Amino acid sequence: MKIMTVKKRERHKNTFYQILSVASVLGLIGLWIYISSTSRFPTPGDIWERMIKMFQYPIKGKNIFGHLLASLQRVMIALSFCWTFGLAFGILLGWNQKCRAFLEPLFSAFRAVPPLAWIPLITLWFGIGEFPKILIVIMGGLPPIVVNTQAGIANVQQLYLDVGTIFHANRRQMLFQIALPSALDAVLAGIKNSMSSAWVVVLAAEMLGGKSGVGFLISRGMDSMDMPLILLAMIAIGSVSALFAIALNTIERIACPWLLKKK
Amino acid sequence: MAIEKEVILQLKNIEQSYVVDNSVKQAVKDVSFNVYKNEFLVILGPGHCGKSVLLNIISGLESAQKGQVYLGAEPLAGVDRRISLVFQRLALLPWMTVIDNVAFGLRMAGIAKAERRKIAQKYINLVGLQGFEKSYPSQLSGGMKQRVGIARAYAVNPEILLMDEPFGQLDAQTRYAMQEEILRIWQQEKKTVIFVTNNIEEAVYLGDRIILLSSCPAHVKAEYEIQMEKPRNTVDPEFLRIRKEISDNTDLAL
Repeated sequence: MKIMTVKKRERHKNTFYQILSVASVLGLIGLWIYISSTSRFPTPGDIWERMIKMFQYPIKGKNIFGHLLASLQRVMIALSFCWTFGLAFGILLGWNQKCRAFLEPLFSAFRAVPPLAWIPLITLWFGIGEFPKILIVIMGGLPPIVVNTQAGIANVQQLYLDVGTIFHANRRQMLFQIALPSALDAVLAGIKNSMSSAWVVVLAAEMLGGKSGVGFLISRGMDSMDMPLILLAMIAIGSVSALFAIALNTIERIACPWLLKKK
Repeated sequence: MAIEKEVILQLKNIEQSYVVDNSVKQAVKDVSFNVYKNEFLVILGPGHCGKSVLLNIISGLESAQKGQVYLGAEPLAGVDRRISLVFQRLALLPWMTVIDNVAFGLRMAGIAKAERRKIAQKYINLVGLQGFEKSYPSQLSGGMKQRVGIARAYAVNPEILLMDEPFGQLDAQTRYAMQEEILRIWQQEKKTVIFVTNNIEEAVYLGDRIILLSSCPAHVKAEYEIQMEKPRNTVDPEFLRIRKEISDNTDLAL
């Protein structure tokens, strides 16, 4: 009987917290409806209509999903480069002391420059096509993955390396069977950071010059005082970004079951 | 014990010191002793001085500044496949399941998957962990983790097993249970065991022979041969007598 009451209390507590979470979201929407009914701020309905309107009168030949796809494509191309090259480079820096001594100052200098500061230079060199935009996103997405991988590999516990030594792991086994798995949670954190950083940078790059993408929609909305368009683009980018975060968390859970099962 | 004892490992005049806070601190001073085949040798010493250092030198994790370790007749250089270690701080690899942890040494040696699974399973059964093959270390209790560590060391089939205060972090109850377990395993799979501890009762319970080290810097203070049948009764008068004798002779740990 006692156990039942404890369980019940536990469940009530959980339900209470869930209600709190739902309440905050409902509160935000309520506030939005209230403000938009008393001012010129667009209502949720306005934004829905703006989206429908975009299907009839696309902007630069694309509806909202077209623009979303354009941004997505840039981010994915840039990230696939960041994640392969950045991972390899991070391993190199973390594992090889000579490489670290030689390359780390250069990388630190590169990292100290915010990615957006590259935009003018890259625009001067490569114009405003697709390639320079992707390059800027790479500038934003690369540092987090490199830094995290390097730190994860370099900080592998001496105890784990001793286990490798005792059981005669060779240099390659030390890296792939011990250092890399022990760094995996740091690497995954780097992957997540590089993704959010890539989104920030792609929007900025598109806002400064371009004919497609969500960033372009936002700056177009600003130029034409089209508030529903701005909000529509913001909601679109927010939703996609949230979906990606959920997907990555799922991948993390599948790839690192031992992190999850810590009770 | 058999009358003619075969020397399997020999330590000769081992010395080791470290630089701590800009001064040289000697950890081990002129330690020499023999280890005989298939015996359960306990190295007993107070506090934090020298015991683990000796094991690290035997296992090849560090090399001695002076002196030499001989395995059989040949001098030992670095890690050797005939010597395996049960780590003091569990040291299981958290990203591997129990069976992968046990099979780790076999995998490093390039043994095929099916074969190493078979061997690992045998040692998992030996330490009584069947049913937990697919668990991760974080899901296991302290005693179970140490069983995995023991199985992992046994799985590579070494001639000598080093155990570095393997039960130091366990609670008293689990510790007693594991002491019985280690005896059972040792009797089932005869190997030479060198077991380090700072617990006198544990030493008398397990050891065929006890080498008592002094406090810092560690040197061999006394050697005891214990003839009592195993498993030993910890309240037997003879047991208590030996325990007291060793206890009186032990330096106080700081």
